[in-house]
Amino acid sequence: MKLLGINIAFVAVLLIVAYTVLAERRILAFIQGRLGPNRVGYGGLLQPFADLLKFILKEEIIPDKSTKFVYVLAPMIAITAALMTIIVYPFGPTVNVPFLGPVDLVITRLDIGLLYVLGITSVGVYGIMLAGWSSNNKYSLMGGLRASAQMISYELSLGLSLVGVVMMSGTLDLYDMVGQQGGYWFYVIPRWNIIPQFLGFVIYLISAIAETNRVPFDLPEAETELVAGFHTEYSAMKFAFFFMAEYVNMFTVSMLATTLFLGGWQGPFVETFPPLGVLYFLIKVVFFLFLYIWLRGTLPRFRFDQLMDFGWKFLLPVAILNVILTATVMFFKG
Amino acid sequence: MFSVLLFILFAGLALGCAISLVVQRNPLYCAISLVGVFVALAGLYILLAAPFIAAVQVIVYAGAIMVLVVFVIMLLNVEEEEHRPSNLRYILIGVALGAILFGEAAFVLYSVHTPLTVQGNTGIGLTSSIGTGLFTEYLLPFEVTSVLILMAIVGAMSLARRAASTNLSARREAGGDGGSTLAQTPLRLTGDARTDAAIMPGETAATGRAMAELQIERGEAAAPSREKE
Repeated sequence: MKLLGINIAFVAVLLIVAYTVLAERRILAFIQGRLGPNRVGYGGLLQPFADLLKFILKEEIIPDKSTKFVYVLAPMIAITAALMTIIVYPFGPTVNVPFLGPVDLVITRLDIGLLYVLGITSVGVYGIMLAGWSSNNKYSLMGGLRASAQMISYELSLGLSLVGVVMMSGTLDLYDMVGQQGGYWFYVIPRWNIIPQFLGFVIYLISAIAETNRVPFDLPEAETELVAGFHTEYSAMKFAFFFMAEYVNMFTVSMLATTLFLGGWQGPFVETFPPLGVLYFLIKVVFFLFLYIWLRGTLPRFRFDQLMDFGWKFLLPVAILNVILTATVMFFKG
Repeated sequence: MFSVLLFILFAGLALGCAISLVVQRNPLYCAISLVGVFVALAGLYILLAAPFIAAVQVIVYAGAIMVLVVFVIMLLNVEEEEHRPSNLRYILIGVALGAILFGEAAFVLYSVHTPLTVQGNTGIGLTSSIGTGLFTEYLLPFEVTSVLILMAIVGAMSLARRAASTNLSARREAGGDGGSTLAQTPLRLTGDARTDAAIMPGETAATGRAMAELQIERGEAAAPSREKE
């Protein structure tokens, strides 16, 4: 039963990820006044499968001077860490499935769901670091160093931005957190955490973009300076693993933002017709994915010292301020 | 039955990684092995129904401290250890200390008469019980620890600051203002990696700890795992 759930969730996530890549290419193309890939299938809809075939059939190159064991290990760590977090997110409320009875649309409920996500994310850094080091290429090393410095810096503000939400909901279980965000204020405004925790949401969004190494924080793979950063030497499926890991990470941070700040699967009429929840959840996640692509088409890249200054001297203090503010308000409200 | 299998798996992984940590000559391999030990220990904590401690173990040790250690190893391009002729005196001291440690462990295990089984609902490692404990019964030790950690951070900062004019890599460790130098450090270090490596070890340990402790203090609450030490 649980295995079935895991399989469905993983296939669904990987499909969505594959189509995010296509959507990114098409949307970017439209932003830049081009058409993008539209030849494989109707409107390019089969492009992800063509890409996958190509990745599988290309030659695997392992550079002579690389540290072979670590070189092969690194993409595995990256993709495993990226995929492992999927199991704790609630995709929807309890749904009546024909022949099976009521089913919770969450693979597993952990008492420490949020900490689990943060822990696995922090281990994911190793994939990138080791890839950069083991390739024995100066561009790769540069990219790996930049990525790890960036990720450990922004992890702090990322974690701190979530503390406010945790304080308000009093639990680390993502399923309970979503449950608490049901209902309305004054019959109109949904009780989502984004309203009392708007500051935390903005900090989370910025640090999440930095954490996934996306524009405008894509210093680790700045193609104008570093060729392709940490994955310069990787080819074929190993490269595809890094590529997939990046998009899966984008997807999971979007799911976390949805779960914690936008009420997860909550929305109108979910109580009467639960399967709607999955749709709401997906809509919210896709909104974040679109935001990622939109930013990539709009913003230029930071300089590295600006990036570090911004993370340590602005985001981190503001995140701490948010924790203090939340605590103060909660204290006086009782 | 299943949990016994998992225990064997994680314990074996922890032991294997620990042996590899000691035996390996390449510092990066040692660091990776240590990460393996930490992750395996986290698995053991989960088997002992202490998920919170497991999560903190992964976040703080595997995710923060070891990342910094690997980062520094990569940045300095530390080479493999040379094979030194082993000194009989050191071996003897090591064996003696190890024997004492094993004796202690055996004594403790022997003196505990109740069988060492853990029920799932003891609530020792749960988030709420740790929180309640920290803010009621153990409030004073908790606060004292945080002051200690703060002192360590300030100490590390002042050490790194003083060395900043002479040591590039120290400036990078100081955090914020070192960002722009990051791009140049490895290139410059290739010439005099030896001298820099001679300065770094103590410093990196201190700074690494300080960074992690910063994270601890900011609410990731590693104090429980600290108690375990």
